[in-house]
Amino acid sequence: MLRGVLIARDLGKTYRAPSGDVVALAGFEHAFSEGAITAVVGPSGSGKSTLLNLLAGFDVPTTGGVWLDDLAVHQRSEAERASVRLRRFGFVFQSFNLVTVLTARQNVELPLGLAGAGPAQRRRRADDLLRRFGLAQRADHLPHRLSGGERQRVALARALANDPDVVFADEPTGALDSVTGREVAAALRDVAAEGRTVVLVTHDESLSSIADARLRLSDGRLAATEHVPSRRAAGGDQVTVREDVKALAPAAVPR
Amino acid sequence: MVPSLATAALLRRPLRTFLTALGIAIAVGSTVVFLSLGEGLRQAFSQELSGVGPDLQVSFGDLQTSSFAEIPELPIAYADDLLAAAERYGIVNLVPILLHVRSGLSPGSAIVFQGLPADADVASIYVDFTIADGRQLAAEDEGAMVAVLGPQTAERLGLGVGETLRLNPRASFDVVGIGGGAGGLLDNSVLVPLTSLQAAIGVEDRVSFFVVEIVEASKANEVAAAIMADYPELGVQTRAELLEVIERGLAISDVVRLGISAIALIVGAIAVANTMLMSVFERTREFGVVRAVGARPRFLFGLVLLESVVLSLIGAAVGVALGFLGAWVVNLVSLDLIALEVAAVTPRLVAFAVAVAAGMGLLAGLLPAGRAARVPIAVALARE
Repeated sequence: MLRGVLIARDLGKTYRAPSGDVVALAGFEHAFSEGAITAVVGPSGSGKSTLLNLLAGFDVPTTGGVWLDDLAVHQRSEAERASVRLRRFGFVFQSFNLVTVLTARQNVELPLGLAGAGPAQRRRRADDLLRRFGLAQRADHLPHRLSGGERQRVALARALANDPDVVFADEPTGALDSVTGREVAAALRDVAAEGRTVVLVTHDESLSSIADARLRLSDGRLAATEHVPSRRAAGGDQVTVREDVKALAPAAVPR
Repeated sequence: MVPSLATAALLRRPLRTFLTALGIAIAVGSTVVFLSLGEGLRQAFSQELSGVGPDLQVSFGDLQTSSFAEIPELPIAYADDLLAAAERYGIVNLVPILLHVRSGLSPGSAIVFQGLPADADVASIYVDFTIADGRQLAAEDEGAMVAVLGPQTAERLGLGVGETLRLNPRASFDVVGIGGGAGGLLDNSVLVPLTSLQAAIGVEDRVSFFVVEIVEASKANEVAAAIMADYPELGVQTRAELLEVIERGLAISDVVRLGISAIALIVGAIAVANTMLMSVFERTREFGVVRAVGARPRFLFGLVLLESVVLSLIGAAVGVALGFLGAWVVNLVSLDLIALEVAAVTPRLVAFAVAVAAGMGLLAGLLPAGRAARVPIAVALARE
């Protein structure tokens, strides 16, 4: 099952500062594989966060752009980018970023409600997702009463609420112990197996080993693209490799 | 979710929310009390005037200056002239009235005497007038020193039937009756025979004004014009004109009181704006998350605006309650001083106060809501 293709072309961001312009990211090009996990790795300050902000539409690039199929995300308004995030993107963060005043269920219902789902529909979908992540008993708890692993699973459930095409995971295991970290990693593999594009931003080399491809950033530039052969083999024909997508991309991407 | 988010926002700093709501409550409460003064006076006057049977009031010169003049100016001879032509004017009944105020050391001890012919049908002038104790004035009382007290005056002075009310060193009246509560100014008056009062204060043949009942109330303007054409020196007011004069006075005082209230309301609105701004600032990260998962800027704008309005309305609810309490206290004092309930919290006043509070919340919420809608997601998520 293939979904949307996320493509970055000549993506760059320069911040203006009194002491001179700071190039956070420049000339980044990549077509992210569907049904696969693509890890973005690199030391802090290498441009990982900037890349995530641009891909997710949190921020707009100073050069180039981001396309989801033929939709030029970077050219859309705030409200339209919000709509893309709501319906086609999902997010998992290092610090969970659950809304602290909402229960686990309400957190999962949040994107559903924003997308206009009715109360019954919201509740059904949220409960299904919480059950999938083993949180059925914790649905009515506020985040501060959940363990780190539970919170991250709530975040995963929330990320999947509107059945997104792309899931962004920013250091998703950074605040977890190794056992729960492995659980979350496994969950991300499942998410990718459903045909979704998973963009995993991490500086944790062991976590990046779950990825099908690794993009290494250095000083705001894409330094290397590494494929993980075992994953490609294991993923079978569900995994679209980078070169294939790139071949398709120019036709799909208006410049 | 929106109710959960809004409620949590207001309960996040309960003391701050409480203090802000208290500020609004005091602003709204003082507005209600200030404006209730106008409403009370309005009620008292409309009650008074609806209790006045006659359609016209005839005075010597301008009504406002002459009717309540210390020395009555209207020669009673005009009554005979007008009654002589009663058929032509369409006059049914004419009663001369002499007003005299015995001033006291404090406003509370002032007494309003109304002298009118003892054989006059009081009920034709004050339609709601009843007698609670003793008797009414009768024709044979003319020239006698007898009085019927309005109930509030009687209570204030502590006088009952058979006791004596002193007007001045030369004249005292025996209380022969106590009126029932008809409401309005009559309750605070003392009714005495006209000639008795004239003699007591030494004004022969002069009264304050005539109240005139005509055949067709709808012709009041024509009759007034006809009388003034024949007697240019007289002033003739219809009931509608009288109401208009009073309403105009009340409207002016409304504006003044509203102006004072506006200051309190503006201070309250600033407090709300400040609280909401702080709250938005504190929730920058939360708003970043909500925006990240797909909320449009408009959603947060609406959320903060809603919180602001809800906060204001909570304050308004308490404020209206405070307003009722304040008006009650004002009436305790005013009843004691001038035997009138000057404050009235009417439904339209409550509706006005609540609407003003809602508008205030909306206005105060605009700036914080705009801030919330413009939270930069990347920056907000990076915050601890």
